[in-house]
Amino acid sequence: MTTIELRNVSRWYGNVVAVNDITMDIGPGVTGLLGPNGAGKSTILHMMAGFLEPSKGTLAVDGAPTWKNPEIYRKLGLVPERDSVYAFLSGEEFVTATAKLHKLAEPERSARWAIGITEMSEARDRKISTYSKGMRQRIKVAAALVHDPQILLLDEPFNGMDPRQRMHMMDLLSRLGDEGRTILFSSHILEEVERLSGTIQVMVAGRLAASGDFRAIRRLMTSRPHVFHVKTSDDRRLAAALVGRDYTHAVELTSKGLQVRTSDFGAFCAQIAVITRDENIRLTELLPTDESLESVFGYLIAN
Amino acid sequence: MFNPTVAAITARATLGRRRAILFAVPAVILIALTLILRASHPAGAQWPDTVLGDFGFSVLLPFTALIIGTGVLGAEIDDGSVIHLLATPVRRADVIVTKFAVAAGLTALFAAVPELIAGELAPNSGKLAWALFVGALVGSVVYSALFLLASVVTTRAIAFGLLYVAIWEGLLSNLVGGVRILSIAHYSLGVANAIYPDQNLRAGLSLSTSLVLAIVITVGGLYLAARRLATFSLAGDPA
Amino acid sequence: MPTDTSQAPRPPQSGPPAAGGVIHDLGYRRYDGPRLGRSGIVAALAWHSFRSAFGFGRGAKAKIIPAIAFIAICLPAAVNAFAMSRGNQQLVYYDTYSPVLRDLVMTVFVAVQAPELVSRDLRSRVLPLYFSRPIKPGDYPLAKYLGFTAACLVMLEVPLLLLWAGAAANVHGGAAVWAQTRALIPGLLVGLMWAVSLAAIGLFLASLTGRRAFATGAVAITFLLTYTLAEILLQVETQSAIDKGGVGPGGVPAASLAEKVSGLFSPFTLFNGVRMWLGGTNPADNVPKPGAFGAVYALVLIVLVGLCLAGLAARYRKARLS
Repeated sequence: MTTIELRNVSRWYGNVVAVNDITMDIGPGVTGLLGPNGAGKSTILHMMAGFLEPSKGTLAVDGAPTWKNPEIYRKLGLVPERDSVYAFLSGEEFVTATAKLHKLAEPERSARWAIGITEMSEARDRKISTYSKGMRQRIKVAAALVHDPQILLLDEPFNGMDPRQRMHMMDLLSRLGDEGRTILFSSHILEEVERLSGTIQVMVAGRLAASGDFRAIRRLMTSRPHVFHVKTSDDRRLAAALVGRDYTHAVELTSKGLQVRTSDFGAFCAQIAVITRDENIRLTELLPTDESLESVFGYLIAN
Repeated sequence: MFNPTVAAITARATLGRRRAILFAVPAVILIALTLILRASHPAGAQWPDTVLGDFGFSVLLPFTALIIGTGVLGAEIDDGSVIHLLATPVRRADVIVTKFAVAAGLTALFAAVPELIAGELAPNSGKLAWALFVGALVGSVVYSALFLLASVVTTRAIAFGLLYVAIWEGLLSNLVGGVRILSIAHYSLGVANAIYPDQNLRAGLSLSTSLVLAIVITVGGLYLAARRLATFSLAGDPA
Repeated sequence: MPTDTSQAPRPPQSGPPAAGGVIHDLGYRRYDGPRLGRSGIVAALAWHSFRSAFGFGRGAKAKIIPAIAFIAICLPAAVNAFAMSRGNQQLVYYDTYSPVLRDLVMTVFVAVQAPELVSRDLRSRVLPLYFSRPIKPGDYPLAKYLGFTAACLVMLEVPLLLLWAGAAANVHGGAAVWAQTRALIPGLLVGLMWAVSLAAIGLFLASLTGRRAFATGAVAITFLLTYTLAEILLQVETQSAIDKGGVGPGGVPAASLAEKVSGLFSPFTLFNGVRMWLGGTNPADNVPKPGAFGAVYALVLIVLVGLCLAGLAARYRKARLS
């Protein structure tokens, strides 16, 4: 059981605060670090990985600091975001070399294993310079896993992956998380985090906006009314049908269409198509007016 | 201390890139030039000094050391692949020592050895050739340590290294006497001159001064580089 | 902040949108004012390149090396002014300036700054952004060349002007000042020749790669290698000419053909050859008087610069991503 503990961690560059007083614990299982670009996710990950010193606060893995502590890498693996590997080596050479640097007893065997579970066995003899972006990500993951670390940190691992590769990577990370490892990955895409992690940590503008179970946070968010803009062939009849439902807060008839305020985003979305079909109304336009991630985060910050 | 895996990767990276042309070609030119001049001007007694001294020592040695020394770690830091090396329990001092050894070795191979070969090929220069060879070995070692330190401290290591070699060593140390104390070229010349005194070398430092300063700079440079590498930081968010 | 687009002005809709897609009006305004044409773009890019050559537009660290180079190249002018104020003769002349120093400082300047202008754009793959503007493919290298030539002119001419100012302050009488001014003009022209040529060669070499360190190494090695080679050949040929006993009028050995040819192999010796052919008297870089052979120097220089510019233009003909 390995935990990453952050206590009041801050990091600033001159006048710019990148990370602002973050306290959190990352335990076994898959945790998603969610936030828009510029939120400080990479900064936090680099600090956890021992490649950046916190300006204030303490950061420890099982009690040991990560800064200036190369021994920590025996239990920690990092998959950096930057697309940079030794391009002149073959995949197998790269992972084997990493294994040797980790002073493993059987570097070739460990490398084979790591390459196997990232499904890079077929391409392992080719030079990394010939790999596609998704393959490069996977070989980086293989190198990060070769020493069987208890902690795996991944910085935007799904960047540039096609859907099939993404699914495969998610399966892999799920399995590793189920084995009891501590997996932390960062992303700004809600769906990725939603699908993969049980626990999420939401960061906005350097601060921790929310943490805990993803579904619980969503439920907290549903007390906020959502506004939809709807245009149909018969707005009035739809308005009458919607008013009768308990998820509708308010309906407004305007010259440009219907404006519906609803408290249950999911239920509304599921039901609107059914309603319009049953009432024989043609739905021409359905627009959520504030679905952007930033507004979601904004809400979390404001509350 | 010396890590064979790191050494193998470093050697492959340095020799396998287009950059290798930059230090392979001058070495070849030195030898070719010597052969040509030997064939066309066999009797001339002056040219070996110019070729071996002005070309071999003043240009070939420092520039080969610059390209190799700033490249062994600098190239990896520049493209970010150093992170894969540092995210392992390898001691930072081991990384520095290993890369230093590779840099010094390759510089010796591409600057000191051609200097020796050219010296042997040139007429009447046997003893001078060996003196210059040993001097060039000393230079390879000290330059490598200095440029390795520069590449850990700044991303513009080759620019500052060029400034040092061209302006500090090329210009000032010949004009201002005191500057010689901080000029690696003069340490090398001092050692060479001690083995085979030659007026044309214009060496200004004695053997003991040269060796002491060479050792101080090498050891000091490597120590500082290791300390600096231990606090290697990645920038935060790219956005 | 949740935006409520129901209150924002909507674009008029003629019938239902085909696939349910709509373009929101986010308040973006069109620009309907006057637009600068190609010349405006080239001028802006050239000015930006000129500034980048001295590190302006980037952090303080980028200015260190250009600053040191500039100070170094102005030093002889300062030293000369000081020496003349003490009553000594003029040490530094306009057309040769301080040869070795100028060679080395300009080598460093071009090797370090030319990659700042061209290699950075290649590395960060922004060329398609430039070429999606209304310019012709040749405009980008032209703008870079203009900017960098201007930067080299500053590095080369400002010291000469300082030299003139220092000398003029220390001589007495309008005739002496006028003599100084007359000597300055050829010096400025020599500086122009240097700037035009070094910019072309440096930019061409730097444009071959996106990695700045590699470009710096390539430019530095090229300049210094050719310079040393030319020097070696010159020395060797001079020596053998003396040995063979050729003595011209005045007891000075006449420059043999081999010696004259030796000077063709390096930009710096080419500059000196052309300068002396055009009437400069002070020798520099050991280049012997070329006499009529100087025309070959001029020709080689023009061809070299032309080839470099052609190469530079060809490099950017196709706006590839890297």
